[in-house]
Amino acid sequence: MNINRPCGTFDRNYFQAKELYRTPLRKTLLALLVVGMYLLPLTMGDYGLSLLIPICAFTIGMLGLQIITGYCGQISLGHAAFMGVGMYTVGILQRHFGFSFWFCLPLAGLIPMFLGMMFGVPALRIKGLYLAFATLAAHFVIVYVINNWRSVTNGTEGMWMKRPDVLFGIDFKSDRNYYFLVLSITIIMTYLATNLARTKLGRSFVAVRDNDIAAEVMGINIAYTKIMAFGIGCFYAGIAGALGGAYYEYVNIAWFRLEDSIWYLGFLVVGGFGSIFGAIAGAVVWKIMDELSTLVTPLAEMFLGGAAFYASAAFSLVFYSLIIVIFLVFEPRGIAHRWEIVKRSYRLHPFPY
Amino acid sequence: MEETTKSIVLGLCSGGIYALLAVSYVVIYKSTRVFPFSQAAVLIIGAYFMWFCLIVWHLPIWLGFLMTCAVGAILGMAIERAFMRPLVGQPILAPIVVTLCLMLLLRGIGILMGKGNIEGFGESFLPVGAWKFGFLHLPKIQVYGFILCMVLIAALMLFYAKTRAGLGMRVVHEDHVVAQNLGVNVKRIFQYSWVISCIIAVIVGMLLGNIQGVGLSLDLNGLIAIAAVLFGGLESFAGAIIAGLAIGILQMLTIQFIAPLLPGETTMMAPFVFLLLILFIKPYGLFGLVRIERL
Repeated sequence: MNINRPCGTFDRNYFQAKELYRTPLRKTLLALLVVGMYLLPLTMGDYGLSLLIPICAFTIGMLGLQIITGYCGQISLGHAAFMGVGMYTVGILQRHFGFSFWFCLPLAGLIPMFLGMMFGVPALRIKGLYLAFATLAAHFVIVYVINNWRSVTNGTEGMWMKRPDVLFGIDFKSDRNYYFLVLSITIIMTYLATNLARTKLGRSFVAVRDNDIAAEVMGINIAYTKIMAFGIGCFYAGIAGALGGAYYEYVNIAWFRLEDSIWYLGFLVVGGFGSIFGAIAGAVVWKIMDELSTLVTPLAEMFLGGAAFYASAAFSLVFYSLIIVIFLVFEPRGIAHRWEIVKRSYRLHPFPY
Repeated sequence: MEETTKSIVLGLCSGGIYALLAVSYVVIYKSTRVFPFSQAAVLIIGAYFMWFCLIVWHLPIWLGFLMTCAVGAILGMAIERAFMRPLVGQPILAPIVVTLCLMLLLRGIGILMGKGNIEGFGESFLPVGAWKFGFLHLPKIQVYGFILCMVLIAALMLFYAKTRAGLGMRVVHEDHVVAQNLGVNVKRIFQYSWVISCIIAVIVGMLLGNIQGVGLSLDLNGLIAIAAVLFGGLESFAGAIIAGLAIGILQMLTIQFIAPLLPGETTMMAPFVFLLLILFIKPYGLFGLVRIERL
């Protein structure tokens, strides 16, 4: 992003302007990070993988919300439900038609995309708060349909899913190989999202977010832009849901409650609005918190006695919401902003600013 | 026809509670321009606290009622001071996320208070039984609840119309800057709004706890009332009352006509489908203000 550059750095030709990363140092670091992510499972057991795979899946979902909310400024309270639609798409196609995972995966993105566009239609006439209501209603409608269309979705019991079949001689039944698949898809999706922000569409997202009337005056088709934002964001959510569901090999309605949609929004705030780094940071922090709260559950049991199940449920609710609220009150721009400050102070080291 | 009349009358009775809840949303939205999703969970807190007073501490009903109202007032004051005031002037997303998170925070506290169990008040504090008017069987609990809601709304309207603080609140509803210039303490008014709204919410929590049992699912009523607020228009008390009653009737008619056709919780669903329809057809509700913006 141009705005984050230090003063006095310009692009002198189109190749420079197209580059995602300018300096060799950053390119090396990025390459090291990617290689490191691929090498991580060698040092970790199943426990590490059980953390990394959901982190990757949630990163994709978070990128989707970043596109809807962070870039386009449309509040979505139904993101977890769209993720659920992605999961159920794969589950239903496998259960009733026996399709392979590879065929289901794109559909798991496209069906939530169309649904999201449909529920995004009210966005043409309304904005801000009203849109939160529309997506809230979308959440309840989707959950109702999944709960009650028993012949197709198996109701509240949920259904089994299959992991992808063998491809190019790689068997994805093992967690490690499945991690490589999820990581690769995450990297591709992150790359696409990064580039989306630089395209015409991505720039019109930002214009609509900052001032939709000004954007309209400048000739941006607001209706198209908003609906595209919903579509693309829900596509990401669907893919995230499909990958996450296939990891657990099980789909259940209990995985996308209203809480989860709110956590999506909240941890997006914790990560930081309007940047890819913010989305990734949000997803990572969320999953680490998840892990912490399961670690703390025994403590809660100790203090609260018998009602341990409810204590842990209450604890995670209180804990997450306090973290998000405190972040919003004290650092409304999130971790991404802090990271920029750290980078700037490193660059300008001897001087304070 | 008899059945339909019955549904409409019963719907009116249960709609009184939605009307009161919708008013509690409008009180805050009108003065602070923040939509308080958290009120849905304040219901839970109110109901559980009343349960503590009556069942655990064996207090008389009037004392329990007063103490619960006091808790509501303190809660409202605390929320406004600790979470909402630092966010004044932030982009619209920040307060929305905060009130949503507060909803979950209060829900978590509700779980801790009741250990996740569904409790009852033992003996209902409103009269039980039913009146018979021909084919109509009116449960007294519902009728008294309706009357209480209407009395509270009337009292609130009187407060707005007759007192000095109410006058200040009406000014703040119009414009924050103008109010500030006229010497109204806008922050104080925000605090009043949260306190009033939270007191209303805990009272509704008590009423609903009396009817439905004290449990975590009470907040669904709060979410349904959101549909009422939107139908009436976010800025209108009259709209909130009419729409609250309408949502009550809609639910009862759903039970009569749609529930036999569809599986599952259709009464829960109908208000949200209705909400979507409103957003498609008349997004600013019956009496909502359509703000004309310019650059």
